[in-house]
Amino acid sequence: MKQQMDNGLKTRVLILVVAMLSLIISACGAQPSAPAEATTAPVEATAAPEEPAAAEPTSAPADAEKFVFGMVLVGPINDGGWSQAHYDAAKYVEANTPNSEFVYVDKVNPADRPNIKVEQVVDELVAKGAKLVITNSDDFKDGTREAAKAHPDVTFVHISGDDVVTGKAPANLGNEMGRMEYGKMIAGCAAALQSADGKIAFVGPLINDETRRLADSAYLGAKYCWTKVRGADAAALKFNVTWIGFWFNIPGVTLDPTKVVNDAFTEGYDVIISGIDTPEAIVEAGKAQAAGKKVYALPYDYKDACAKGEAACLGVPYFNWVPTYSKLIADVKGGTWKQAWIWNAPDWKDINNVTTSPVGFIKGAALTAENATKLDSFIAELAGGLNLWTGPINLQDGTSYLADGLVADDKQVWYMPQLLEGMEGQSASK
Amino acid sequence: MNNLRLARAPLIAILVALLMTTIVLATTDAEAISAFTVMFSGALTSPSRVADMVMLAAPLLLCAAGLSISFAAGQYNLGIEGQMTVGGVISMAVLRQYADGGNVAVYWIIALLAGALAGAAWAGVVALLKQYTRVSEIFVGLGLNFVALGFSLYMVFGPWKRPGVASMSGTEPLPDSLWLPVIGTTRVTLITPLVAVIVLALFWFLLRATQWGLEVRASGLSQPASRRLGVPAVRRMIQAMLVCGAAAGLAGALQVLGVYHALVPNLASGIGFMGLLVALLINADIRFVAPLVLLFAVLTAGSIQLPLSLSIDSSISGVFQGFLVLAMIVARAFISIKERA
Amino acid sequence: MHISIRNLCKAFGNVVANNDISVDFAAGQIHGILGENGAGKSTLMKMLSGIYTLDSGAVAINGNEVLLGAPIRSLQVGIGMVGQDPLDIPVFTILQNIAAGAQIAGHTQIADSFAAWNALLGFELQPHLRIQQLTVGQRQQVEIIRLLITGSQVLILDEPTTGISAAQKDALFGALRTIAREGKTVLFVTHKLDEVAALCDTVTVLRAGSLVGTQAQMPVAKDVILQAMFGDRSAQASFTVGHHHPNGTLWHLNDVVMQSANLRLGPFSQEIAAGQIIGLAGLEGSGQTLYLQHLAGMRLPRSGSIRFLNRQLVGARHDAVYLPADRLHEGIIPSMSLVEHVQLLHKHLLDPGQTARQKVLQLIRDYNIKATPDIALELLSGGNQQRAMLALIPESARVILVEHPTRGLDAYSAESIWHRLQERCTRGTTVVFFSADLEEVMTYSDAIIVFYGGSLSRILDRDTLTEQSLARLIGGVGFAEVMQ
Repeated sequence: MKQQMDNGLKTRVLILVVAMLSLIISACGAQPSAPAEATTAPVEATAAPEEPAAAEPTSAPADAEKFVFGMVLVGPINDGGWSQAHYDAAKYVEANTPNSEFVYVDKVNPADRPNIKVEQVVDELVAKGAKLVITNSDDFKDGTREAAKAHPDVTFVHISGDDVVTGKAPANLGNEMGRMEYGKMIAGCAAALQSADGKIAFVGPLINDETRRLADSAYLGAKYCWTKVRGADAAALKFNVTWIGFWFNIPGVTLDPTKVVNDAFTEGYDVIISGIDTPEAIVEAGKAQAAGKKVYALPYDYKDACAKGEAACLGVPYFNWVPTYSKLIADVKGGTWKQAWIWNAPDWKDINNVTTSPVGFIKGAALTAENATKLDSFIAELAGGLNLWTGPINLQDGTSYLADGLVADDKQVWYMPQLLEGMEGQSASK
Repeated sequence: MNNLRLARAPLIAILVALLMTTIVLATTDAEAISAFTVMFSGALTSPSRVADMVMLAAPLLLCAAGLSISFAAGQYNLGIEGQMTVGGVISMAVLRQYADGGNVAVYWIIALLAGALAGAAWAGVVALLKQYTRVSEIFVGLGLNFVALGFSLYMVFGPWKRPGVASMSGTEPLPDSLWLPVIGTTRVTLITPLVAVIVLALFWFLLRATQWGLEVRASGLSQPASRRLGVPAVRRMIQAMLVCGAAAGLAGALQVLGVYHALVPNLASGIGFMGLLVALLINADIRFVAPLVLLFAVLTAGSIQLPLSLSIDSSISGVFQGFLVLAMIVARAFISIKERA
Repeated sequence: MHISIRNLCKAFGNVVANNDISVDFAAGQIHGILGENGAGKSTLMKMLSGIYTLDSGAVAINGNEVLLGAPIRSLQVGIGMVGQDPLDIPVFTILQNIAAGAQIAGHTQIADSFAAWNALLGFELQPHLRIQQLTVGQRQQVEIIRLLITGSQVLILDEPTTGISAAQKDALFGALRTIAREGKTVLFVTHKLDEVAALCDTVTVLRAGSLVGTQAQMPVAKDVILQAMFGDRSAQASFTVGHHHPNGTLWHLNDVVMQSANLRLGPFSQEIAAGQIIGLAGLEGSGQTLYLQHLAGMRLPRSGSIRFLNRQLVGARHDAVYLPADRLHEGIIPSMSLVEHVQLLHKHLLDPGQTARQKVLQLIRDYNIKATPDIALELLSGGNQQRAMLALIPESARVILVEHPTRGLDAYSAESIWHRLQERCTRGTTVVFFSADLEEVMTYSDAIIVFYGGSLSRILDRDTLTEQSLARLIGGVGFAEVMQ
């Protein structure tokens, strides 16, 4: 009987252990699905790979001459998207700025690193000697503000934030962002040029001002090229937005972007514009192309993203943080940094110039030569002053956003309240 | 004999865990010694790191202390994460009623009590379902964890979302005046560890020095025998679950008040499960709760430096903790098999 | 298939379960294997079916020695056993269960064989019912067909009539006769004489692990078989250890039916007087535990009423203490000390333990327990545990209901336990106990109730019985005359 009791107990403990291990494993697994394969190609593309950060961990803080800048990244450094664009740029700047050192912590999100707050990570970066700390996610807004208050002698830049505009920012906290709106317009145009029947699907992350304005920009670009370049009827253009719920796939929490993309193909959409940080759209489009379907995708964030589905890629709008970071480091080093909310436009002379243009667009292999020419002339029009944020533009609910002839100012665009008339999809989270 | 056995299992377990973790570390470029140095002492190298460690240790202490009571009653309360989450959500509901000029201390006390009550109620659901439907508390608890997580996600992304924008970083932060006051420039609030230590002391007293605690332990060891001795075993088991849930709910409320200052989507963030690991490791013996909680907090807090100084992922400390618990269970089983033979 | 067993031995530790057993079971017959509890019947059968390995000896089938030792090997040579608890998967249908166990490909083939055996044996099983919907008897029928389909030539049944209805028993006996006519060998293990008389072609009696005499062809006179089963116990002098005089009625049982998962006692009515020691005799599992638990109020009767001290018994009472056979599991909390047990019994919210300690030291002296107040009870010897359990019974207890009061104890410990129980009885406590040991029942009881085949006897005055006559009643001989 004693034996029996022990066995019962053991069974229970076993169940317990199995249950816990599976939970731990699932917690570790809850990260972007794609990054593993992303490593090789992109890392080669940027000159200086990982070693420097790891090589001399101890000497850094003692060396007063060296300028240390730190970064808190929401995703993994090899996500083939948003976080990798930041990481690669930082490595590029580190390699090209004498006597500088880049320190970072990636995967700072509740799924990958539970119980770790932005403030804690910043403390560690500051302990490494960082004089400038860049945080790269909208979700770091509160944490960055608190960290900036705690370290008044360190300069903080919150990418994509607006604390400077809202007046919540302490004096040592600035905001920067690239005008990706242009990139999205170009992407939208490319989609409209190449789509057979004008059926475009946009896969977005969660719903906020930023994501709404980017989706809207893509729509404006698509609509312009659909009507003005192709001369088709605006009403025939279908532009559907699906929000998955977060910047990348979190199984069980977000919609699965792979499934969303394939559903869109099934429903007859032949071009996907990705607004999320990870490359599911281009990967799936590539597979569908290989299977003989005439479908295309435009990935996002990261300039080599087309590599994951070359044959289906119409092009990628991407962030190039090199000019932003070079200037930031120079300003902070030289003591000339001033608190500001900065929204950087592309360098229209060459939007793909790595040292000057914060936003770029690289055309994909699947874009036909004819469409590529048309796209180039669209880019030239934008460079020449074409502003698609010109009225009349109505919001999705029919109310007027811009009256005829009016042009939106930055704040109107930044705080985009809804999707636009003509777009399908949710304007606000329920 | 008995003491020898008690000492042998942990020693074996620690050695095995160190060995296994070293093997895992061998797949990276980092030296095992320096990795272990960072893990074991990284959290103690500056006041702000110690502060962060303490703020992690406090809710962990609450969970592990609560679990030592539920384990004593033979109840494997795997629903502790959910109880912590619900405690946080309900305390947030209280705190949202605060308007400028209100008495802050009153809100703190009500929020903490509400959190504890909510956690207890959530645990009560587990206990009652177990008693009346005979479903193992393990499965009910795990199921309710998901319900609680869904509940908090709904509040964060639904009714309590930030103006216009739902954010993974949680609800709009509470007004500064409601934040528990910190010590100096650190992030440690005096109240959080104080509450945790008081609760641990109280639970210790309850379990070891009162008739109630004796009856709880008796119910956990043998239900038929304790009933025969006149102990209301079922009632004691339910009460033990309620007490454990209250501790977890309190931990959730403290996370809201002292750490996040908002309701975040993943409030429990594995602290409850880490508490379970601690409880398993020490066989839920409340005498060892405090030192083991400190060890786990040091390991977890210290590991955040790993990616920075050694380019190793911080999850290696989780690997070590997991191996430690597994090795401990196996070592205990092994020793008891050998003794029986 | 003819089975020859030669010089088979099996011991568990120091206990010899089977001692040099040699016996033959001829094909085409039903062989009864008789013996009291612990005689070694089940051990022998479990060795044949491969659940236990043999220590020494040999088994031959049709003259060829076979190597047993694992259930699969026994099945391969054609020996199958229908257990007391048939092992099957409750949510599967009958056919699925058979398919899961049989090494036969093809579902239709299994369905066909099933239908054929079902018809031949006169069972009325519906193949698509789930096992959990069946009665114990039907599950047994499934098990028999399953073994036959898988090719068993020897069918072992261990106490197959426990828990099945009379109609099912008749069906079973008919089926077994058919099976034997088919040329297969049936080994029928039982402790019921009349079943052997009704069914079997031969009888083999085991006692204390050894074969008694040789296998005999039925019919054999019941007295001869009883003599073989229990030995010549009437030769021992029956002596009285103090007599207790009943005073007043403690329990009134009125048309009571007691029922558990596979046992049913009654309906019967009874009045039990206080202040005596009542022994329950009978083979184990005949309903004694069920009876005791009802007297304790731990179970309530299916129908009828039980009154205790003229009040309806509605649940366990503090003054009716039940000591289960499985004392380490149900009686005490193994890892707790005497002090903790005493504290559990006495409700003081914040007892510092000092008053409890005083009491424990007193108990240790009174009950001669070799223990310190703080040592975990699991570390005590069996005798000391048993005495500790007695010591923990409050003086206020009117009734002590105890299973196997001295099982596993040496003679000295057993005597000291009985000394305590009799002391209690002298002070007015009623003791009801059951024991597998006939001698113990005869020695210590003032009155005896015999349990046999789902029924119980009147309350019999011990002095009207001898061990011999009690043994007969336990075997069912003459039971009808004393039946309730």
